[in-house]
Amino acid sequence: MAVTRFQFLSTFSRQFSSISNAHIVQPKLRIEEIRGKRISIFDKEYKRQQSLIPRLEKIEVAYEGFDNETTTLVMNKGVSTPYNCAQHISEHLMKNSVVAEVNGEIWDLHRPIPSDCTLKLLSMKPENQHQASLVNKTFWRSCSYLLGAVVEGSFQDDISVTLHSFPPANVRSGSFVYDVQLSLDDWVPSLNDFRQIAATFQKFVRQNHTFQRLDIDSSVALKMFEDNAFKADQIPHIATKSSSGNTVTVYRCGDHIDISRGPMIASTSLVGRCSIAAVHRLDSRIYRFQGVALPSEIYINHFAFGILETRARKLNPARTPELKSN
Amino acid sequence: MPNSAGHVKFVMPPIGSIGSGLASYRDLTRTLTDEKSTLYSALSAIVYMLQSLNRSPFLLGFLSNHEQVRNMSRVKRRNTHPGYWLSLKNVQKKDDKISADNLRFMREVIQDKYKNKSPLKVSELQIEKTEWDPKTKRSGVIARNIGRQQMWDKDGNKIVCTVLHVLDNHVIRYIPPEEYVKTSRGAIHFKNKTPLGCLVVGAEATNPEKFTRQYCNLFAEVGLMPKKTLSRFIITPNAALPPCTPITAGHFLVGQAVDVYGKTVDHGFQGVVKRWGFKGGPASHGATKFHRRGGTIGTGRDKARVWPGTKMPGHMGSERRYNRGLMIMRINMKYNVIYVKGTVPGATNSIVRIFDTLLPLRKFKEAPPHPTYFPPEDGTQKEEDIWDSRLHVFGSPSISV
Repeated sequence: MAVTRFQFLSTFSRQFSSISNAHIVQPKLRIEEIRGKRISIFDKEYKRQQSLIPRLEKIEVAYEGFDNETTTLVMNKGVSTPYNCAQHISEHLMKNSVVAEVNGEIWDLHRPIPSDCTLKLLSMKPENQHQASLVNKTFWRSCSYLLGAVVEGSFQDDISVTLHSFPPANVRSGSFVYDVQLSLDDWVPSLNDFRQIAATFQKFVRQNHTFQRLDIDSSVALKMFEDNAFKADQIPHIATKSSSGNTVTVYRCGDHIDISRGPMIASTSLVGRCSIAAVHRLDSRIYRFQGVALPSEIYINHFAFGILETRARKLNPARTPELKSN
Repeated sequence: MPNSAGHVKFVMPPIGSIGSGLASYRDLTRTLTDEKSTLYSALSAIVYMLQSLNRSPFLLGFLSNHEQVRNMSRVKRRNTHPGYWLSLKNVQKKDDKISADNLRFMREVIQDKYKNKSPLKVSELQIEKTEWDPKTKRSGVIARNIGRQQMWDKDGNKIVCTVLHVLDNHVIRYIPPEEYVKTSRGAIHFKNKTPLGCLVVGAEATNPEKFTRQYCNLFAEVGLMPKKTLSRFIITPNAALPPCTPITAGHFLVGQAVDVYGKTVDHGFQGVVKRWGFKGGPASHGATKFHRRGGTIGTGRDKARVWPGTKMPGHMGSERRYNRGLMIMRINMKYNVIYVKGTVPGATNSIVRIFDTLLPLRKFKEAPPHPTYFPPEDGTQKEEDIWDSRLHVFGSPSISV
């Protein structure tokens, strides 16, 4: 069931077709209902996929650790995750691993391993440049996801919040981004608003949720996201790009479920200092939330972080969602 | 006792000493003041003397002039912790390793941010033209004591001077009297007096990465680089200065008297001979283990206990003191250095604050640079080195006998 990232990279282009009704009302209480519904679908699908495994078979995982030392671990096929392998080795690896490299391919830490492989666990301070850029992108992607999760629940009951999407991770742009549709015209957030959203982000992150990955059929995905017209529109496109032609990858973090192609970090405990830098208004009620964050392992002084924040305030040049109303 | 909470600076003369008189006439007529400038009347002085007469165990020793004043009842002489109201100043955590490229970039950002971008001359700062009057209190200055030097006067007499380097002082903000009185410090200061304003001055600009964000925010409003030292100077409203005004050595005049405030040299835990000037015991003649000890600490009869405030070994130094009425002998305008006659509290390289003196007979008779000194616009600077008239200038022809 390994969906290779390479296929996604080569053919993936997120183009969004027109949506007839650009104003979608989703009051807050409904959001909690919706989340509950999505979680129940997620759990059901997860249990179903687990039950497909008739009996536990063993696989050999060759863990390549510090100083190129190799250890062989005997794990369960399709059930054991790289996190379980780390549990066999040390607590430090458990806590500090961000992503894994399974047979050279970047892999979520809580995603089951399907066959014999070589395993490497990457932390926030990796050894070489290539690993560093992979970890960086994963962290940035996860932060975008979390930003969406937090923004959805941040607004008052009468304002409808519809998550649109987030562009691919680009660290050089200086900020991670989530595009959201709000039922507000010309909203200019104050300094206090930024602080409040950042505080909610921090609170959510401190709850140490793990990122659970699930590959689901596009029909199940459509059922999950029937409330969100944007996502419902995106799902067929995403599904056609997948290896089987029908699968969509979703991630669950706490109460929130969202679609994303790429690997995410192991848990929110890896996110440290964060700040919501700016909210730019793209056309027709779509707002671009921009933030910058640091891993919890890395500490830099307030002045240096201030420079990052100033940079993150500039409008992110990533592709904007196109909305053509009929 | 007049003020039990205060630190009484002047020690009452020995009561039973007939030789020097019950109290000299001078002591009766001169006003008694303590550190907090609380005035005691002559009557209260007499009352105090009579009271202490009751208590004094040395009533019989009227020929001795060494009476201990035991009124420092559990008064804290110093504390080393900062006030609870102050924000945390120094960073507690060490930075993760930042690459050399990034460090260079950050230095460039700091230089860009704090470079003085304003092309206006300093005198263009909105400074209201105010009049000086003898009751004006001007700002003071933060300086560093860089050691001692000798000067000689024209008669060949040596004058020991302390060299004070006036650091890069900038005004951070001015707090007007109505606002300052409402603060906790201001309320204590001006309890039964007319309120005065407060000028916050900072010195020694430093890299903002060394301090916490809260401390840097104190300077963010005025756009100044964070300063290592901050100080409050109580001033009359007519001596107010706008933020970002630099204060230099030219603020003072040669020949004026100044008060210097600093923390005295820390001697650590010291014995009774060094700390209180006790005589100790004989060096020889059979004295067993009694050379630098205190001796008796009380009698067996009166009160039958060791009185609070009894002089004993303990921590000596690191206390806040003023040396008042020091005359300025020489000012170097180029390097912002002041030569002050006499010595100053504290060790070399310690920070001190310099104010115009409050000694009444040494105050200004003519207007000083008010509210502070600004170099003249037409470029005609004051001479670089200004010496007092009675000093022999180094390098000039030597004195002929």
